[in-house]
Amino acid sequence: MMSLPGEVPDVSPAAREPRAAPDRVTRVRPRRSGAGIERRQRLAGWLFLVPAIAYVLFAFAVPTLYNIVLSFEKSSPAVIGNFTAPFAGVGNYRQVFADPTSTSAILRTLTFTAGSLLGQFVIGFAIALLFNLRFPGRSFGRALIIVPWLLPLIVTGVIFKFLFQLEGGAVNQVLMAVGLASHPIDWLDNPHLGFLSILIANIWLGVPFFVVLLYSALQDVPVQLKEAAHLDGAGPWQRLRYVVVPIILPVIEVVLLLGFVFTVKVFDLVIGLTDGGPANSTQLITTWSYNLSFQQFSFGAGAALNNVLLMLALVCAPLYLFVSRHSLQRSVGSDR
Amino acid sequence: MSRVERSTLLKLACTLAALGCLAVVLFPLYAVLVGSFETTNELFSRNYHWLPQAPTLVNYRTVLQAQSSHIASSAIVGLGTAALALVVSVPAAYALAKYRLRATAVLVSVLLVAQIVPSIVLATSLFAVFHWIGLVNSYPGLILADGTYAIPFAILVLRAFFFSVPNETMQAACVDGASEWQTFARIVVPLARSAVITVAVFAFLNGWGDFIFALTILNGNTIEPITLSIYTYLGDYSQNWGAVMASAVVAIVPAATMLVVAQRYIAAGLTAGSVVG
Repeated sequence: MMSLPGEVPDVSPAAREPRAAPDRVTRVRPRRSGAGIERRQRLAGWLFLVPAIAYVLFAFAVPTLYNIVLSFEKSSPAVIGNFTAPFAGVGNYRQVFADPTSTSAILRTLTFTAGSLLGQFVIGFAIALLFNLRFPGRSFGRALIIVPWLLPLIVTGVIFKFLFQLEGGAVNQVLMAVGLASHPIDWLDNPHLGFLSILIANIWLGVPFFVVLLYSALQDVPVQLKEAAHLDGAGPWQRLRYVVVPIILPVIEVVLLLGFVFTVKVFDLVIGLTDGGPANSTQLITTWSYNLSFQQFSFGAGAALNNVLLMLALVCAPLYLFVSRHSLQRSVGSDR
Repeated sequence: MSRVERSTLLKLACTLAALGCLAVVLFPLYAVLVGSFETTNELFSRNYHWLPQAPTLVNYRTVLQAQSSHIASSAIVGLGTAALALVVSVPAAYALAKYRLRATAVLVSVLLVAQIVPSIVLATSLFAVFHWIGLVNSYPGLILADGTYAIPFAILVLRAFFFSVPNETMQAACVDGASEWQTFARIVVPLARSAVITVAVFAFLNGWGDFIFALTILNGNTIEPITLSIYTYLGDYSQNWGAVMASAVVAIVPAATMLVVAQRYIAAGLTAGSVVG
């Protein structure tokens, strides 16, 4: 399944209202000395955090930092496990940027991301608008539409590989049955169609996410505003363009941001569907980095490419923190 | 046409359009399900069969023989990931929501940024680190790696939930003489049951569905979860699509089961922050 954002930042008006939060410390002060209680509570708080801090250091901080070290080392399978690789300067980066497969994987990742987001947004928004209307069966439909999201991503890749088979693939069979194609299309052995295949599969994969979040934003648009616009003579398109979109714009920004973060990470889907082929024509940064590290055992070059990917993904970090600011501000301790 | 007739027609059109969307979205899954009951020869005939012409269980027999140990491995990894996520996340989320600590904003920011780090970046380094400390090819290693999907998400979702637990509840426990740990374990965690289940379900699915860490951290045949085995199976026997489709169905079963059993928790998880913020 797709990894999820833990917190879709608050954008609803209710979330911004300050909560009445009585201060526990002052209330219990009569029982013991205030300073003692505060110290005891702070200690308990830190103890509750110990496993998480240890985990974050072990599983995020160390690997991310070690990846930087690795990218400046001349590493080989013999030394990968014992940290004795010689220093390589910027050799790995030079190698990556001189390698046409790497540079085209970087460019392809950008095209793939832009294409996916465009497709996912347009289709997802259309479906969300549809489900926002009242009609029989819509809650059932909404429950089913999230199914693609819960599948293991590698399984999705394999499923699409099956659908796109030249002979016997369901896509070709259906296209021919309805008369849209006269002969089977060779989706996976043609470099251009291979890229189109991973794009289609990824759009399919991401649409439910866009539908779920955009739908819940549409549900929060006050009915009175739409009615007022209606009375003022605004047509459906004008109501959408000038009333609905401005209100849900913060959610649209968040969804696109999270979609970007998901899409630059895509790996399983491509490995399952095309394995980066034909002739490396569907390699993304992730899949090519895997190839460099784990198939060519060029861990240094893989790490250098990883850092390019990390930079690309982290471009979003300040934006992500910015849209999460309400949640962050809440944390500065007024709650207890 | 009267107003009523028009609105009935409009509703009918909406239902049809929604059915059309669902058909496209669900078609790949339908095709896999049908394919899993067909022989490979039948699958690759020239015409598409909307239903298996001669339903057969031969693929499932093949899969259950070949895959039962992989299914068990995936279950171990899924359960382990869920357990790890709960042990690490529940106390941390409680501390980040209910204690006044100077580091809270920094830690929450770190968790938000951690979610952005691509798994391939972690996988390359974790492979080296695990090699060093002897965790390559082991369940603990794989589970620790799979926690990277689940733990930041779990902490942030649970924290959002803990905000909704009234402070008075904890004050009452404190006045009654409960320690901080007792308040947490006996009062707060039971209150958070539904959020804890949501997080556990997602962590299980993360562990069950993981491919990238299984591919990089496991390099022998001793442990092979079903995601990895489908991939290797496809490489080795790419002719036997019927069996591949049956394995895909088997790999989907937990997700489908959870969708039915825990639907309300899943819906809660998917819209987590935007609802409970």
